[in-house]
Amino acid sequence: MEQLLYASATIIVGVFGCVAYFYGSNLLLDVALPPRGEKAGRNINLSNMIRPWLFLGPAVALLGLYLVYPVIRSIDLSFRDASGDAWVGLDNYRWMLSDAKFYESLINNFWWLIVVPAASTFFGLIAATLTDRIKWGNLAKSLIFMPMAISFVGASVIWKFVYDYRGTGGDEIGIINAILVGLGGQPQAWITLEPWNSFFLMIILIWIQTGFAMVILSAALRGIPEETIEASILDGANPWQIFWKIKVPQIWGTIAVVWTTITILVLKVFDIVLAMTNGQWGSQVLANLMFDWMFRAGDFGRASTVALVIMVLVTPIMVWNIRNARREMV
Amino acid sequence: MDNIAGQKSALGWAVNIAVVALVLLWTIPTIGLLVSSFRDRDQISTTGWWRALTASEQNVIVRSAPPDAQVAEGDLWVIAGNIFEDGEGEVTAFGVTSRAPTALTPGTVGEMSKDRTMTVDASGNYRITSPVEFSGSRGTRIFATTLTPPQFTLANYDRVLFSEGIFRSFINTFTVTIPATVIPILIAAFAAYALAWMEFPGRALLIAAVVGLLVVPLQMALIPLLKLHNQIGIGKDYLGIWLAHTGFGLPLAIYLLRNYIAGLPREIIESARVDGATDFEIFRRIILPLSFPALASFAIFQFLWVWNDLLVATVFLGNNEEQLVMTGRLRELLGSRGGDWEILAASAFVSIAVPLVVFFTMQRYLVRGLLAGSVKGG
Amino acid sequence: MKNTYLAGAAALALAAGTAYADGHLAFAPGSGDFSWDSYEALKSMDLSGETVSVFGPWLGPDKELVESVIAYFEEATGANVEYSGSDSFEQQIRIDTEAGSPPNVAVFPQPGLAADLAAKGLLVPLADGTADWVRENYAAGQSWVDLGTYADENGADQLYGFFYKVDVKSLVWYSPENFEDAGYDVPETMEDLKALTDQIVADGETPWCIGLGSGGATGWPATDWVEDLMLRTQSPADYDAWVANDLKFTDPKVVGAIEEFGAFARNDAYVAGGAGAVASTDFRDAPKGLFASPPQCYMHRQASFIPAFFPEGTVVGEDADFFYFPAYAGKDLGKPVLGAGTLFAITKDSKGTRAFMEYLQSEIAHEIWMAQKGFLTPHNGVNTGVFTDPTVAKMNDILLNADTFRFDGSDLMPGAIGAGVFWTGMVDYAGGKDAAAVAADIQSTWDNLN
Repeated sequence: MEQLLYASATIIVGVFGCVAYFYGSNLLLDVALPPRGEKAGRNINLSNMIRPWLFLGPAVALLGLYLVYPVIRSIDLSFRDASGDAWVGLDNYRWMLSDAKFYESLINNFWWLIVVPAASTFFGLIAATLTDRIKWGNLAKSLIFMPMAISFVGASVIWKFVYDYRGTGGDEIGIINAILVGLGGQPQAWITLEPWNSFFLMIILIWIQTGFAMVILSAALRGIPEETIEASILDGANPWQIFWKIKVPQIWGTIAVVWTTITILVLKVFDIVLAMTNGQWGSQVLANLMFDWMFRAGDFGRASTVALVIMVLVTPIMVWNIRNARREMV
Repeated sequence: MDNIAGQKSALGWAVNIAVVALVLLWTIPTIGLLVSSFRDRDQISTTGWWRALTASEQNVIVRSAPPDAQVAEGDLWVIAGNIFEDGEGEVTAFGVTSRAPTALTPGTVGEMSKDRTMTVDASGNYRITSPVEFSGSRGTRIFATTLTPPQFTLANYDRVLFSEGIFRSFINTFTVTIPATVIPILIAAFAAYALAWMEFPGRALLIAAVVGLLVVPLQMALIPLLKLHNQIGIGKDYLGIWLAHTGFGLPLAIYLLRNYIAGLPREIIESARVDGATDFEIFRRIILPLSFPALASFAIFQFLWVWNDLLVATVFLGNNEEQLVMTGRLRELLGSRGGDWEILAASAFVSIAVPLVVFFTMQRYLVRGLLAGSVKGG
Repeated sequence: MKNTYLAGAAALALAAGTAYADGHLAFAPGSGDFSWDSYEALKSMDLSGETVSVFGPWLGPDKELVESVIAYFEEATGANVEYSGSDSFEQQIRIDTEAGSPPNVAVFPQPGLAADLAAKGLLVPLADGTADWVRENYAAGQSWVDLGTYADENGADQLYGFFYKVDVKSLVWYSPENFEDAGYDVPETMEDLKALTDQIVADGETPWCIGLGSGGATGWPATDWVEDLMLRTQSPADYDAWVANDLKFTDPKVVGAIEEFGAFARNDAYVAGGAGAVASTDFRDAPKGLFASPPQCYMHRQASFIPAFFPEGTVVGEDADFFYFPAYAGKDLGKPVLGAGTLFAITKDSKGTRAFMEYLQSEIAHEIWMAQKGFLTPHNGVNTGVFTDPTVAKMNDILLNADTFRFDGSDLMPGAIGAGVFWTGMVDYAGGKDAAAVAADIQSTWDNLN
């Protein structure tokens, strides 16, 4: 009971404090620089300069502390030795460029970046569109969304029951092999099957992320003004045309957002690889390589160097997003 | 007219079938876990989960009653009993040695070493005879091929739901999750509005920075930040984990919300400005209500992420009774070397309950189509 | 009448001992053959108000067992000891010590990691005299002192680690009744073991179950095989040199040991499921083949903890038993034993912490766990009469009577090797890659370490 009270109190204080800041700081600005009276013009200009930063303040502070600061530290560490003490110049970068596992990870990451965002967005769009047209759509949505809600450890067991391989003569407990044997085929050790095993791991992430894409895209589809669709129905467009010519262009921005988000998530993916193969059988990816060097080998220098590569890979997406943002502002 | 109606219903069928196929593909793996959560460990690792649904033929090794249970019948010593614990099941074959476990048909008599014999009938009754008294402490092995009806157990759920301290951890998780969901949304919504609709130098750069920060690997941030928390005296407490989850969740929140808010019709905001509304009023009266679908969808994701998180919780929060979260508590049920899949399966479904409730609640806001209505009105 | 299903069938039996967690003592003081005087001696300390946090890798039933040992310390001294476990211990302890919020005591499964932290100045040396105590009271005491001694941040050697709970790895598990049915005898020498292997194949059966799968740690069971075979083909000095990287992985001696493992694991006729299944079969599933009907295999080489993964209701000593993974009669290397152990180290000093570490030296701290399950100790002052399980006593004998005892080499190598490329390399090897090529890969990573 005591814990319950403490919990509610902390929740209220935490949330209320946040609301109070925004409300209070804006009020303060209005009081300090009233948009009335003789100095109204000057005050309005001044408060227009200050107010964005009141809005942005907490976000910028938290981002700076929790994300920018670690980035700067990683850059520094990438020039240092395993324990992060001695300056070693470009040694870590030289090591990376001569490491076969690094290239393997880079190539695998490339495939992940191509396949997973495309497939998740595609299936998410299909799911969002189709479930909007049927009576039990909400139930269907929830079921497709469920993988997102399952904890990762749960998901790794789920997929063990899909890909498991017992060898010849054993009773298969993986459903794919069971079906294969039922059809008279030979069972396969799926997760060791280079190079296809990477794709089997990608399926897991697609399975999880489709729910994300579906939820966001579904909200966007609902946002399309009814009149637009009604008008095109009156013009005699068939559902196929309505979908591709009317709906998709309307939510193009949202599709891009979903795609970007999943792409970035893919860059960071490591738990699936860690739990299923640990990067063996040629399935290593950059984030898991970083994790290995950081926590298995305790080499902060090399881990940071790999982390920086992951961060550099996001640059094209950043540039593209800036250009989009600029276009909106015009 | 008929033609169009016919097309429509055909299309409706096609859509329904497509969704059924999609849903099946997406749920079959999860169903496997659900079924497994009602099976015991040996069943999980010896037969596929789909076999649990029907009566299945299995080769089992059963031990007879121990020698204490023997009775003398004439010049023979006899141990008798039934191989099924609950008396239900059917024997289709049996054997007396591991070399030939399915060699004999039920009802026939198998010869064993030392002039012993064994017979098992179709209903599982066995009878082992020996010319000399049985000795030792354990029964004889009986190899049987049985057809057993599906068997399920609630033991896994029993262990998870009634494990010590689970309620406390449930409360702890809520203490972490609710502020760690609400605070980033609030902060991000304000920031997103500023980035979308306020003019100030450096705006594009900030947007790019937010996208760039999305990719920062969490692992790189753990040590320096925990060090910082320790140095400024937050240590391992709730305040620390709220801040950490807020920091890590902000880039995605700002990115998603900014894109949504930037897409709101310009006329609404401009006309409010002309009417003399301040930015704070515009935000509170117009942006917030209009952004409900976006806020709700982000709330779902942040909630899920925090709810299922173990890494951030173990780093920024203590492992003691007052602070241990659900994911940490469930982990303690597992053995040191993993492999307790039955517990993993049951706990996955125990911990998914709350996120699904959240999803159902939030779904109302996702589908309202607020924007469409307001455009018409505005 | 009580039937025991060896395979299939629901069993409600849960891990024993849930009652210990709430502070009750597992055995009433004064009962049984325990060294209660060492418990009474604790009462002279009053530590009420002191809290000691212990962080380790033990979870589930193991957590309950360690808590049952801790309970006696708490009862006698009034201190409050909080144990918490994690499956990502290695990661957690690095973060916590680096960031400055360590527990009082950390329980390391690998000496390598402890050595790493010691070199960064993150561990506190044990009390003076601990080394002497270990030398006197542990079988092969000096070697345990050496395994717990690391260089501090200034390069000076100090004793940091106190070993408590040991595993024996050189064991082969089998079903005595299956051996009896088939007329096989327990082999006494490696030559016999190989002959038995061939005989089982000639009989149309499969001799071995081998599984290397372990999620993120896939490959480690193979490193145990290689280490065991290294000890059976090369001298202990060579083994030590190999672990220290003075003898290279590419040396024919090491490559030879890898190929010895390959002779078992890469032969389709020798392993259940065929050689292709070895790498992906989970090590927790692998022993179940021994108990299948008909048996999928007859032997399984694995450490002393593996009965935890036997089917529910399996009685060790009756349904399952083990024999020593034998040495070559033709090589004069005695009876080497491969083992591993967990070591306790102080990560944050306090009065209660010191007392707790001292408690671990007492006989009672060992006997409480011994009397339950799965606990071996080199402590020669304890009363082995408290072993309730004759098989555990038998293991302890193997440990105490070993000619050569060597610690799991992969746990001593740097993390990037012993928990990295050695694992992955062995998986590649099991998958068909050439032994020399695998060894060259591992060696090149080792050479390139910072």
